[in-house]
Amino acid sequence: MTAVEPRAAAGTREHLVRQLVGLGGTPTLDTSPASNAVTVSVPAGALEAATHAAAGISGVRLADMFADDGDTTVLRLVWACEADEPGYVITESQIAGGEYSPLSDIAPAAFVEECEIYEQFGIRPAGGKPLNRVMLPPHSGAEPPAGRPPGPALPTLGHQPAQPPAEVHAPHLVGGQAFEFPFGPVRQVGVESLYYGLVTSGEEVVDLYLFTWHKHRGVEWRLRGKTAPEAIFLAERAEGLSAVAVGWAFAAAAEAAARVTAPAAAARTRAVALELERLYNHAAATAALCQATGLSVGQAAAEIALERLLRVNAAAFGHRYLFGVVEPGGVSRAPDGDVLRRELPGAYDELRRAADALLSTNSFVDRLAACGILTAEQARRLGLVGPVARATGLTTDARLAAAGPYADHPVNVVTGAAGDVFARFQVMLGEVAESVRLITRFLDDGTAADRTLIPSRAGTGLGWAESPRGEALAWVALDEDGRIARARLRPGSARNWRGFDDACRSQNVFTDIPIIEASFWLTVAGMAR
Amino acid sequence: MPLWFARGLRRGVVTTRYPARPDGSAVSLPTPPAFRPGQLTRQTADRMIAACPGPALRRRDDTLIFDVGACTACGRCARVAPDAVTPSGEFELATTDRAALVKTIPILGGSDEA
Repeated sequence: MTAVEPRAAAGTREHLVRQLVGLGGTPTLDTSPASNAVTVSVPAGALEAATHAAAGISGVRLADMFADDGDTTVLRLVWACEADEPGYVITESQIAGGEYSPLSDIAPAAFVEECEIYEQFGIRPAGGKPLNRVMLPPHSGAEPPAGRPPGPALPTLGHQPAQPPAEVHAPHLVGGQAFEFPFGPVRQVGVESLYYGLVTSGEEVVDLYLFTWHKHRGVEWRLRGKTAPEAIFLAERAEGLSAVAVGWAFAAAAEAAARVTAPAAAARTRAVALELERLYNHAAATAALCQATGLSVGQAAAEIALERLLRVNAAAFGHRYLFGVVEPGGVSRAPDGDVLRRELPGAYDELRRAADALLSTNSFVDRLAACGILTAEQARRLGLVGPVARATGLTTDARLAAAGPYADHPVNVVTGAAGDVFARFQVMLGEVAESVRLITRFLDDGTAADRTLIPSRAGTGLGWAESPRGEALAWVALDEDGRIARARLRPGSARNWRGFDDACRSQNVFTDIPIIEASFWLTVAGMAR
Repeated sequence: MPLWFARGLRRGVVTTRYPARPDGSAVSLPTPPAFRPGQLTRQTADRMIAACPGPALRRRDDTLIFDVGACTACGRCARVAPDAVTPSGEFELATTDRAALVKTIPILGGSDEA
């Protein structure tokens, strides 16, 4: 079986739903009328054909895949439809017998989730393909060393797998003049725990694999049994540098499940916070690119801008990293519009001045150009999102599928073409200007600390927001008491790490890797959630 | 590269001695809680302990033990007991003695069940 190439067809929700119904699927009624998401129940026997159909439609992207435990395990695939009226289609299939069709053979973007689902629920794709360890550390639940007290076993969301997942490096063959260079998980200064398995012949990166599981926190497991207002505290900490985006996605999912919508002024408040989050993250990525290229004055210049932006956040919303703004049903605080109008232009100019100087520095630009290249085809096959995908020419942006403020003021999606680090940097700079424009529009339309009460009722819902590192998704199932039966959080980082090794392998050398990592600007926390 | 050298000199030193001046936005930033012993009951204390996402709060009989070093200033204790908690507004937490960060607060409100 080979990966399916999309044919020319309209990637609309209606088109995909028609295809799924033709394969025996049944649209469910448990869909919020205010949501741009449709759920279709697909028989397990038709799952392979349904995946073929969806992956074959141009403009349809596999956005997420996750499982849920009940009498049988339910497998859900989230498809993003990006043509005409963007939105999402969720397929759900009951999996009996512990195996399902190997979907990553059809849609390569599914492989990481196949591994995660095996670790968390014990079901696996048929065919016996090796599944890597991606979430749970190998020492979870293991006997402690002699004399040490036992640590807590990390819980799984469903059944334990019959066999432990494969360790990626165990079957890894290194031949010829190549050797394996281990790096991490402890890295310099405050960088998150990340292990690189670098295969090299001395300088060129021949192969690379990552371990991101060292700080797994079981956030999805911890959300069970909580009400949505209780759970938002943990949800926005799944990826702290995307607190607004992940918090908004989670809140929107809970609202869709409870069939309510946030007031318009509250949605605009969320959008202001989301664009502020994008601004400070892109400034931080600029500083990281300078650090990776050894340009310390440029790094200082970008960090001055970053600090000014963080102070704007604090003055406008009371938190430098914008925690606690989003609540299910609305927002807890309104921004100080006077502060934003007075302080934001200066902070933006600071960043713009640093960026303009960097763009006229050949030694900086030369290190970024033709480094860490990804093609649009790679980005599409792997389901990449955010500036990483847009730098390849794709127009993937969750804000296009959003109702409310982004429907009133559509975002001008910034894209590149080369797919390299320089293209990603240029996309970020373009997005910074666009964020400032959008914030002004949202403030003009009016913001408020307003919210709708979340009623206690059963239901399911999907939510999304465009984080600085790409589409953040959340799916929530509430029981009759309004408590979470299952919550799925999928930050943008969880999507884009799968493209990092491809970018590093594309004829790059050791010293390119920090530059590529800065241009991706991902978090390990987003994977180790 | 000489341009960057000149740029660095022109921009000058932007770091300051701490604290150079009061930061106007500091008043609205999250800070660790300050407790009102007279408003504290054992039940209130237990609710706050349950709400705390970390190990910053615990109770020993009629004493609330607050580890400022484990507090992330998330504000959840203030949400469950707004009468008993106010923001301390305190940022200057550095100390050479870790034990100095652990504070004991008498619970003077007794028990709600009394």
